[in-house]
Amino acid sequence: MAQVLVVDDSSTVRNEVCDFLKANGLTVVPATDGKDGLDKLRADSSIKLVVSDVNMPNMDGLTMVEKIRGELKNSTVNVIMLTTENSPAMKERGKAAGVKGWIVKPFNGASVLATFKKLVV
Amino acid sequence: MDIRQRITILVVSTFVAIASIGGYATYQSRGNANQVKLVTEGVVPSALASADLVSQLKDVQLATMNLVSAPDANLVSQIKTRLTGQKAKLQSSLELQQQQADSDTQRGLVQQAKESLHNYFSAVDDTANFKVAGQNELAAATLFAGVAQYQTELEQIIDTLRIEKTRSKDAAIASLNSRLASTVSALSVVTVLAIVVLSAIGFMLYRQIIRPIGRMQSMMSEIATSQDFTRRVPVERADEIGRSTEAFNAMLAKIQESSAQLKQKTTDIQAMLQNMPQGILTVVAGSRIHHEYSAYLETILETNDVPNRDVMALIFSDTHLGADVLSQVEAAIGSCIGEDAMNFDFNAHLLVGEVEKRMPDGRVKILDLNWSPITDDNDTVVRLMLCVRDVTELRKLALEANEQKHELEMIGEILAVSQEKFHEFIVSALTFIDENEIVLHRHIEPDADALAQLFRNMHTIKGNARTYGLQHLTNVVHEAEQTYEALRKPRPDIAWDQDSLLAELAGVRAAVERYSHINEVSLGRRGPGRRGVTERYLLVDKGEILETLHRLETVNTGNLHELVAARDAVRKTLRLLGTEPIAATLGAVLDAVPALAAELGKATPSIRIDDNGYVIRNQASGLLKNVFMHLVRNAVDHGLEAADVRTAAGKAANGLLRISLAVADGTLQVALWDDGRGLALLRIRAIAVERGLVSVDEPLSDDEIANLIFRPGFSTAERVTDISGRGVGMDAVQDFVRREGGKIAIRFTDDAVGANFRQFKTVISLPDSYAIQVDDNQLEHLRDASAHAEAQPLSQRGEVSTL
Repeated sequence: MAQVLVVDDSSTVRNEVCDFLKANGLTVVPATDGKDGLDKLRADSSIKLVVSDVNMPNMDGLTMVEKIRGELKNSTVNVIMLTTENSPAMKERGKAAGVKGWIVKPFNGASVLATFKKLVV
Repeated sequence: MDIRQRITILVVSTFVAIASIGGYATYQSRGNANQVKLVTEGVVPSALASADLVSQLKDVQLATMNLVSAPDANLVSQIKTRLTGQKAKLQSSLELQQQQADSDTQRGLVQQAKESLHNYFSAVDDTANFKVAGQNELAAATLFAGVAQYQTELEQIIDTLRIEKTRSKDAAIASLNSRLASTVSALSVVTVLAIVVLSAIGFMLYRQIIRPIGRMQSMMSEIATSQDFTRRVPVERADEIGRSTEAFNAMLAKIQESSAQLKQKTTDIQAMLQNMPQGILTVVAGSRIHHEYSAYLETILETNDVPNRDVMALIFSDTHLGADVLSQVEAAIGSCIGEDAMNFDFNAHLLVGEVEKRMPDGRVKILDLNWSPITDDNDTVVRLMLCVRDVTELRKLALEANEQKHELEMIGEILAVSQEKFHEFIVSALTFIDENEIVLHRHIEPDADALAQLFRNMHTIKGNARTYGLQHLTNVVHEAEQTYEALRKPRPDIAWDQDSLLAELAGVRAAVERYSHINEVSLGRRGPGRRGVTERYLLVDKGEILETLHRLETVNTGNLHELVAARDAVRKTLRLLGTEPIAATLGAVLDAVPALAAELGKATPSIRIDDNGYVIRNQASGLLKNVFMHLVRNAVDHGLEAADVRTAAGKAANGLLRISLAVADGTLQVALWDDGRGLALLRIRAIAVERGLVSVDEPLSDDEIANLIFRPGFSTAERVTDISGRGVGMDAVQDFVRREGGKIAIRFTDDAVGANFRQFKTVISLPDSYAIQVDDNQLEHLRDASAHAEAQPLSQRGEVSTL
C-alpha cells in the first residue's frame, strides 16, 4: 500500500525523491525501470501518483505510461515525468498518454510537495 | 400592422376566396343537377311517352278492326276485354301526360286528347255493342264513321302533343346546356378573380415582409463584414422587422460599447508597453517571443530584433550562465508552456532570476528576470510572461552604498583616535607590513622563524588596530594572522604558497592604506598633526555619521529611488568631511583686523563675507590663510583711508572689507575688495619707473600698471610700515597661489579708465574641487560647528558677519 510510485534507474535520484516524499508524510514505493514500475503498479492498486524518469533501460518512462493506460487499463493514476530535457515530440507523446506534468531535474522538493499532496488524495 | 396580422389576413382571404368559389360551384351544380333531373326524368320520358301514345292508339284501332271482323262472340268478348284494358292504359298515359305538362298549351292538348279519347272509346264501345248484337254492318259503319273520325282527331291531337313535347324537351336541353356553359364561365371568372386578388395580396406581403427582411439581412451582413459597429440599420416600421432591427441596433450599441472598451484596454496596454520603463515580453510555444512586448525591452537589450526570437538567444546569450543552467532554463520553459499550471510551480525555481549579460560593446548589464505564467480557462499555461529590469545601476548603487557604509564606519573609527596616535599607528603598521613583505620574498619554503616573525608582526598590527577600535582593519589583519597561525602547525592541506601569502599581505596593506587615505584626504588629517588641531577638522558630528550609517543600513536595496537618495545623502556627508566655511578658514586673519586697524591709525572696518553657499576644502585652508593675511593687511594699510579722510570724502568713518566666494568656469574665485580710495595707478607707475621696471614713457594700460604690483620687490607703501613692508609683497603672494595651481588677478570694478585711482577687486582663482556647494541647512550646521570649535564663536565677533 503506497501513494506514490517513484521510477528511476539512478539510485541517487530515486533515493533522493523517495526520502524527500517519505520525510513529508507520503508513502512511497520505488522502481528501477519501466518494467519494474509496471509490475509494482499492477501489484498495488492504491498508488495514486507515478513520478518517473524518461530515459531508463528495459523500458523507458513514456512507454511505461502508455502501457499503464493500455495494458493495465489504469486511466486514473496521475503521472509526472522527471527529466533533464524535453522535446516537443516527447511532450506530445506524453500528452497523448495523459502525462500530467514535467519536472526538470534536479528534483526540488519544495516546489512540488504541495501539488503532490493534492494528487495523491 | 404586424406581419402576423398580415399573414392572417392573407390566409383568411385565401380561405374566404376558396369557400366562395366552392359555394358558388356547389350552388350552380345543384341547380344544374335539378335541371338535368328534370330533363332526364320529366321532359325526355314525357316526350317518349307522348310518342308511345300514338302506338297505343294504333293498337286500339287494330283491336277495334279485329273486333269488327271477329267471327265469333267469344273472340269479340276477348277483344272487348282487351280494349277495356287499352282504354285504361291510354287514360292513365294521358293522366301522366297531364301531370307532366309544363305549359298551358300541353295541358290544353292533353285535355282535348282526353275528351277526344272519351269520344273515341264511345264510338269503339258502340261498335263493339253492335258487333255483339250481331249487327255487323252497323258495327262496320260505326267503325268507319265514328271510330275512324275520332281516331283521326285523337291522332292529330296526340301528334300535336308529341310535337309540343319534343319542342319542350329540346328547349329544356338547350336551357340546360346554356346553364352549364354559364356555370363554367362564372366559375372561371371567379377563379381568375380569386387568383388575381390573392396574387395582389401576396405581392403586397412580399413587398412588406420579404423585401425589408432582405434589406435588413444585407445591412447586417455588411456591418458584420465591415466590423463598423458605429453604423445602424434604419428602423422604418413598427412591426416584427422593425423590432428585430431595433434589437439588432441595440446589440450593435452593446458591441460598439464593448469593442470601444476593448479598444481602450488594448490602447492602455499598448501605451503601457510603449512607456513603462520595464522590459516585458511573453514567451509562447517553441520558446519564441511574442510580437507584443514593451518598447523599453529594446532599450535594455539594445536591439530591436525581438519579435519571434528564441528567448534563449535573446535573453540568455552572452550571459554568465553555463550551458547546463541554460539547458535547465530551456527545459523548464518547455515544461510549462502548453501544460497544466502546476508545471510552473514544479519548475519555476529553475527559471533564472538574474543574469549578467555582455553587450556587444563589452559593457555588462545585470538583468533582473521575473517570470510568471499566463493561463487560460483550463488552467493551462499558454504563455510565460517575463519582466526584464536593468538593475545594473541599482546593483552598482547598492555596492556603492555598501562601500560608503564601510567608509563611514571607518571614518567613525578614525575620528575616535587622535590624529597623532592614528598617524603613529599607520606608520608602524606599514613598517610591519614592509617587514613581512621582505620576509615573504626571502622564503619560498616554510620556515619556523620566518613564520614566527610574520605572525608576531601581524599580531601586533591586529592588537593595535583592536586597541584603536579599527574594526574593518582588524578583520582583514585577523585573516592574515590566522593563515600564519595555521602554517605554524604544519598540516598537509595547508601549503606555503608565497604568491597567495604576498597577495594576502597586499590586501592588508590596501586596508591600512585605505584607512590612511580616508584620514588624510576625507578628513584632511595629513601628518602627525598638532594637539588641539584635531577637533578643528571635526566638521561633521558623530551623531550625523551614525544617522547616515543608520540610513544606509536600513535602505531598501531593491528600490532605486531610495538607494539614490541614500547615496546622495551619504555623498553629501562624506563631501562635507574636511570642509569649512570661509569665515572659519579666515577666522584668525579677520580676528586680527581690529588690532591691525588700530596700529595703522584706521577706524576698525566692518567685514562682510558672502560665501554663496560654498564651503572650502581643508587643503585650501593654509593657502587662503597665508594669502588673505597679506591681502587684508594691504587693504587696511593701503586701501582704507584714515577716518578723517573718509569723513571728508563723505564716507563712513570705518571702512568696509568684503570677501566673496563664487564658482565659475571650473574655478573657485575668492575675491577681496574694500571701499577705500582704490588702486593708486599713478603711484604704482611712478614706483615702477623708479625701480626701473618700466621706462618713463612706456605706454601702459591700467591693467598693465596694476599687474606691476606682482613684480618682485615692488612696494607701494610710501614708507615701509611694520605690517606691509616686511619684504613679503604681492610677488610672494602670487607665488603662494601659483604653487597651489591657482591665479591671482586685479580686476577693476569701475569705468574710470586712466584715472589715478581705480576701484578694484583682488581675485584668487583656484580649482573648483576646493569648493563644495551645500544647502542652507548644512551651511548653518557647519557654521555652528566651526563656531563651537573656536574659543570665541565667530558669529559673536561683532563686526564680522557672514551672508
